[in-house]
Amino acid sequence: MAAIRPEPADPLSRRGFLQLCALAAGVLSPARAAWAQEAPKKGGTLRVGFYIEAATMDPHFSGSKIDRQVYHNIYEPLVTLDAHLGIKPGLAESWQQPDPKTIVFKLRRGVKFHDGTDFNAEAVKFNFNRMKTEPKSVRKGEVASIDAVDVIDAYTVKLNLKRPDAALLATLTDRAGMMVSPKTAQERGPELERNAKGAGTGPFLFVEWVKDDHLLIRRNDAYWNKQGGPYLEQIRYRPIPDDTVKLQSLQAGEIQVMDYVQPRDVAAVKADRNVVVLDVPSLADFAYQLNHTRPPFDNKALRQAVAYSLDLEQIVKGVWLNVGVPANGPIPPTSWAYDRAIPFIKRDLAKVKAKLAEAGKAGGFTFTMTTNNIPINVQEAEVIQAQLAEAGITMKIKLVDSGTLISDGNAKNFEMISFQWSGRPDPDGNTYQFYRTTPGTSLNWSGISNPQIDALLDRSREVNSQAERKKLFSQLTRILQDELPMVFIVHPVEPKAFSPRVQNYDPIPDGMMRFKDVWLK
Amino acid sequence: MARLILHRIAATIPVLLLVTAGVFTLIHLTPGDPIDAMMAESVDDSVKQRLRQDLGLDRPLYLQYASWMGRLLQGDLGRSIRNQEPVIENVARRIKPSLQLAGLAMAISLLVATPIGILSAARRNSAVDRLGTSFALFGICMPNFLIALLLIFVFGVTLRWLPISGYVDPWEEPWDGVRSLALPAITLGLALAAVITRTLRSSMLEALSEDYVRTARAKGLSDGAVVRRHALRNALIPVVTVLGLQLGTLVGGAVITEYVFALPGVGRLVVDAVFARDYPLVQGVVLLIAAGFIVSNLAVDLLYGWIDPRIRHR
Repeated sequence: MAAIRPEPADPLSRRGFLQLCALAAGVLSPARAAWAQEAPKKGGTLRVGFYIEAATMDPHFSGSKIDRQVYHNIYEPLVTLDAHLGIKPGLAESWQQPDPKTIVFKLRRGVKFHDGTDFNAEAVKFNFNRMKTEPKSVRKGEVASIDAVDVIDAYTVKLNLKRPDAALLATLTDRAGMMVSPKTAQERGPELERNAKGAGTGPFLFVEWVKDDHLLIRRNDAYWNKQGGPYLEQIRYRPIPDDTVKLQSLQAGEIQVMDYVQPRDVAAVKADRNVVVLDVPSLADFAYQLNHTRPPFDNKALRQAVAYSLDLEQIVKGVWLNVGVPANGPIPPTSWAYDRAIPFIKRDLAKVKAKLAEAGKAGGFTFTMTTNNIPINVQEAEVIQAQLAEAGITMKIKLVDSGTLISDGNAKNFEMISFQWSGRPDPDGNTYQFYRTTPGTSLNWSGISNPQIDALLDRSREVNSQAERKKLFSQLTRILQDELPMVFIVHPVEPKAFSPRVQNYDPIPDGMMRFKDVWLK
Repeated sequence: MARLILHRIAATIPVLLLVTAGVFTLIHLTPGDPIDAMMAESVDDSVKQRLRQDLGLDRPLYLQYASWMGRLLQGDLGRSIRNQEPVIENVARRIKPSLQLAGLAMAISLLVATPIGILSAARRNSAVDRLGTSFALFGICMPNFLIALLLIFVFGVTLRWLPISGYVDPWEEPWDGVRSLALPAITLGLALAAVITRTLRSSMLEALSEDYVRTARAKGLSDGAVVRRHALRNALIPVVTVLGLQLGTLVGGAVITEYVFALPGVGRLVVDAVFARDYPLVQGVVLLIAAGFIVSNLAVDLLYGWIDPRIRHR
């Protein structure tokens, strides 16, 4: 029985990671050098501005990214991510995998939920059962590979899997691994969605959520981990929907943290000495799905003609203002599975001509792109439209709101459609559900069904060695570049902005803001 | 009076019915699905299907409308799909900031527009008139969001006198509450003041050219007394009409201002609900906004009678 320890983040070292940040940012944030020099100070209220407010306080019912930002300070998952997306202990202090279909977690002792009850193996079993059986659980798909949970002793729990699932540990670093107090969940019922008092084990306690106004959490003085924070007295989250106003609120000192700076504002904000910007490389993958189930993109040559028409460097420079890097596939440069030996598809008008001729459309063809009616998407669509026009391809733009976009995608009612995925720590989360043959509704909007891809994806779940999996994902990326279920555009960087008072923030590329060790100067 | 009110209330019923049917049809015809919008990242079809069944979204549209109307007749506006709270609670929470903002914006607009409108008319073609007319033109031409961003930049970022965004209830913390509403109220108030200034100026000009004004002047009344006692009261009817119409717009339609200042008002509620395809919430809020419009128009009609007793007797 081999103990599985968090694997070293091959090949990206911490220094390498920071260099990557710096590369994306153009300059290393001055705040990082300042952080870690002074002794942390307890107290103060950190005010955080988000673009919308949370949807629910129950991690098992949550379908919104913004919820996770709050959860990562109230709740804790069994395992967590380090800065290189490696898996490290969380509420589980170690884990073993005696065979591909079994994971045994040794749980941390002395951890209490905020309601005073013990965190133990029974609690873990309760949580997985809840995720699997609650009718409203949004986590069902994520824990689908877990067949049964056995309590071995008070602090040991065994997950029996239906099939090998190499991506499961990474999945458990987020909501699917977050442990809710069984007592609070049972007593409070649906009200837990609005009131998470007592429910977590994390460094901060839920205090109140005044809908549409603010969500307040307070330091957990009884937190089990005595190393480092929590230092902040309180964190107050506020929804500020307008990006410009959110930025001005930061500049005026009304908030000290903003979750995302629009690319258009990044240069100006970096020039402001009252704001510290940190470029956090994300896990995101922004692309366009091409509909394989109907003309014109049921024709591979036409898909390739579109891909060879695009100048990704120009798009990233002109639209994204270099707040991101051209994408060679679905796996972001932050991931251990990213293969930098695979170049992104370069513009080649001669190839476009050949591909158009191959498809019998030497004079070009016309299609419609469906995209979100938000400024950066519209700009990107217009640049793509111009690039395609130069290659003799006519693209019409259909602007829709996100509700329509999702429903058009699910119904395969599109020819080419914008798809922006926030990304998952394991490459499986950026690939499997998009490219695996799936009948019915799924995120495989393109409708791609390719036995070679299916086999690679299945294999990538069965194999446990990271090096082996990396090879599989490299192969997959090359096939995707040829088959083109999506035209990959950019892996954006997610710049976050802080008041210079905010100290010791450690960015993790999943974009979640964990404030345990943060303090205010 | 009571008959007038009853008559008007009876006349609102078909209007409200039309509004509910129209909104129901439109929101359901719009592409998109509340469950897809809510669970964009979840791929488990069975969860989505179950939710659709639980919420009755899998039934034919006419049945959904009939059951919604049935509940409405019992005073139940249903529950939001997104947050599961009763629609009425969602609206109750959002209506307070909206009403406070509308009230404050109206007060500001009247404080600004009344003197400018009167002076512009009384001193027609003078420098004061030209200044007043320019102000009105500026206020009408400038989009709300631009005024808002300018105010934020000057008073929030540069001078730091007022908070940039957020809401504090003035009934709980009067000073902070008024401060939190100041910039949005000025934004809305300035635009409204421009409209009122123009309306008041033109109706004052009309009133000042009437025979009774000449008679009053011939009797030796001062300019001030002529304006106050004779012209202004007669010039107020169009102003009240504008105010009545604007009240509804301010409460339900101040979306941009609420959005920019992160105010939790009704306008943002309904727009967010449309984007989330939260059908019961959209239907409920639009119904309530329509009812609010009707009530404010009724109030305007009653005000006419108070301002001009001749209207009451007709």
